Amino acid sequence: MGEELKIYWATFKASLQAKLEYKLDFFLGILTSTMLQLAALGFLWVVFHQTQNLQGWSQPQVVFLFGMTAMGLGGSELFFNHIWMVPYYIVMGDLDRLMVYPVRSLPFLLISRPELHSFGNLVTGAILAGWSLWKLQMPWFDWLMVPVWALSGSIIYTAALVTFTSLAFKFVGPYSYTLMIPHTLLQASRYPLSIFPGWVHFILIFLIPYGAFNYLPGSWVMGKMSSPLLVLTAPVVAVLCASIAQIAWDRGLRQYQSTGS
Amino acid sequence: MKSRALATPLSFNENLASYLSYLNRALKANFAYKSSTFLGLFTGALSYGITVLVWRHVYAQGGLAHALSANEMFSYLALAFCLNYAMTINIDQRVGQRIRLGLIATDLLKPLDFQLTQAVQALSDSLFNGFVGLGVLAVVYTVLGSAILPKNLACLVLFLPSVFLAFVVQYSIVFLFIQGAFYTYSGYGLFASRIALHQTFSGLQAPLILYPPILLTLGRWLPFQHIIYSPISIYMGRVEGLQALNLLGEQFLWATVLYLVGHYTLRKALGQLEIQGG
Repeated sequence: MGEELKIYWATFKASLQAKLEYKLDFFLGILTSTMLQLAALGFLWVVFHQTQNLQGWSQPQVVFLFGMTAMGLGGSELFFNHIWMVPYYIVMGDLDRLMVYPVRSLPFLLISRPELHSFGNLVTGAILAGWSLWKLQMPWFDWLMVPVWALSGSIIYTAALVTFTSLAFKFVGPYSYTLMIPHTLLQASRYPLSIFPGWVHFILIFLIPYGAFNYLPGSWVMGKMSSPLLVLTAPVVAVLCASIAQIAWDRGLRQYQSTGS
Repeated sequence: MKSRALATPLSFNENLASYLSYLNRALKANFAYKSSTFLGLFTGALSYGITVLVWRHVYAQGGLAHALSANEMFSYLALAFCLNYAMTINIDQRVGQRIRLGLIATDLLKPLDFQLTQAVQALSDSLFNGFVGLGVLAVVYTVLGSAILPKNLACLVLFLPSVFLAFVVQYSIVFLFIQGAFYTYSGYGLFASRIALHQTFSGLQAPLILYPPILLTLGRWLPFQHIIYSPISIYMGRVEGLQALNLLGEQFLWATVLYLVGHYTLRKALGQLEIQGG
């Protein structure tokens, strides 16, 4: 296990160093992911220009949710981004290589292609969540829990991507459109889920549980829900989602047929 | 570029036939990938659905007086989605990859204008997506009824050139951003920054009149409003008569300037282009 972890770490470091060689891309990546977050914030600004709150959530409170989503996304892009290439690899038969390595295929695949624009999402997310907690004068414990919730969010989001990717083994095609479904739904977790109809609420709490790292702990932080269990929901759900994703991946991989060339 | 000088110049009719042939082939290619089209439409609708649900909550909550009634607002959003879908052109990836892999060399050997050829391909995307968008609008009509129809015939007549100019503005902006691929390894940064500006200032998620003053001022100085907000303002009759003609003039000006700037920057970039042989 220790040896395997060392291999993952070495692979991650080497991939990151290779990416960092393209300095212009690095700065452009940070700039653009920040711009995308600002674009989303711009929309929030327009919305709050038209209303004073969203189901009782003030602007700084919603900004906290924006920050958490950005950090969850950024963490996934930094550590687990390679999943986006799998539909293409299936078509090209490029997964053969992965299957002959003496390591577990899923974690090795995930770790081996960090994205540089992840830093922009991570930094912007941390600034937004930090600004919100500072503005609302939240206690130190909330600050301490933010990295735990963000890391859980990265795992939950990646697990959703992996589960949807597993479908690509059955429905072969060079596009990542199926992955766009969990990615798009992540945008909804920027808002208090209570503003959405019940079925959206249900999906984002139980089926693709982004609410577990964002809305539920956020509700606890903002004093809208009181159960202390909400603090630990995110890591527990993350472990559960990771297990489901691993099972889905293993099943999908059994259907992989390569290209024969 | 030198190889172009060696090619025999085409007559006007041959030129036109070549571009029409491009358009025809590109349209057929769009029809060939039906499943990806509908998956793309689905994810686009899913993403836009979130925006609509946020506005739905804002209007249901009441509170502030809005510049648009709920009916006008949701008609605007439906039209914005369909128009934005029609303006979705797939040249970022197509051209970006050709630049990065050096395949652009074979494009430049052809006796056709590269920028115009890409415009024709983009037009095929736009026409195809426009038809799909019309289908979506027909479905929306069953829900919103006549609220999504143009205010009157004059609005519809002025809307058509406005949509064409919106296409030229959109294409020219995309073409300018793509050229970043001559200088960077990954095209994502440029693609995403264009998307961010488009989402914020085109009026996709809300009409500009609802914007806070700072964002509104910024939006008025940028060309993105002419891709969605301006055509829909004409269609819905929020801008009429001389004001509508002025708006068309503004769109025309932006379309011309952006297209010419794209032409100039392409010449500059090609002047420095090095493609490895072998």
